[in-house]
Amino acid sequence: MRVFSGQVPWLLQRLTALFLIAALLVICVVIFLGLLPDYSSWKAFAKSGHGATIIFVSYLAICTHAWIGARDVLLDYVKPISLRLTLLVAISLLLTATAIRLLLILGAQLPV
Amino acid sequence: MHRSATNHPRFLNLLQMRHPVGAIVSIGHRVSGLLLIAALPALVAGLEWSLRSEADYRQLSEMLLGPWARGVFVLLIWALAHHVAAGVRHLLMDAGVGSRLPQARASARLAIVFALLCALAAAIGSLS
Repeated sequence: MRVFSGQVPWLLQRLTALFLIAALLVICVVIFLGLLPDYSSWKAFAKSGHGATIIFVSYLAICTHAWIGARDVLLDYVKPISLRLTLLVAISLLLTATAIRLLLILGAQLPV
Repeated sequence: MHRSATNHPRFLNLLQMRHPVGAIVSIGHRVSGLLLIAALPALVAGLEWSLRSEADYRQLSEMLLGPWARGVFVLLIWALAHHVAAGVRHLLMDAGVGSRLPQARASARLAIVFALLCALAAAIGSLS
């Protein structure tokens, strides 16, 4: 039942956690210094290849972290196999669909 | 050591467990994680909205501070703060820092209080 069980997800969970803590610290510094971007600089960031990549890679880190965490929680508490599978599929669909949607949004920003 | 029948619980029954402060942080870590996952579609939708036009960008920032969004906003700030605080505590313990019982209890209380203070600050900030 355990997909990707063992040390690999354990390590991935911690590496993505460190990455996301660093990203969150940057966001907190930006907020506390009052450096929140206006529309044009936010748009320019998302439009640039680097900005779009940073946003998407961060979201992939969130999805990886969320999947491993949600899977651990569901395997601990949801015992009936059909309900467990349904919830696991629902969460993986939510993560995949939002990641694809984000990729499409960012792709639409890039200058052709 | 390899035994087929171990004593540790494979499945946890929350109703049969006692809940010391460390357990409260731990369950909060799980609950806040699930809340944050539930917020992901809104996060992506918000990003899409924020990039659509200048007016949409401004409308989104105003809506985030509007009355109906305020409760959700404060709840999500609590979830994020608790998840990160409990996560940092977890990572430090992995590294062997603060895993003795008195320090572990102190850091558990600290994580709970930190998250509640963040939620309070968010509530006050969204009112002003």
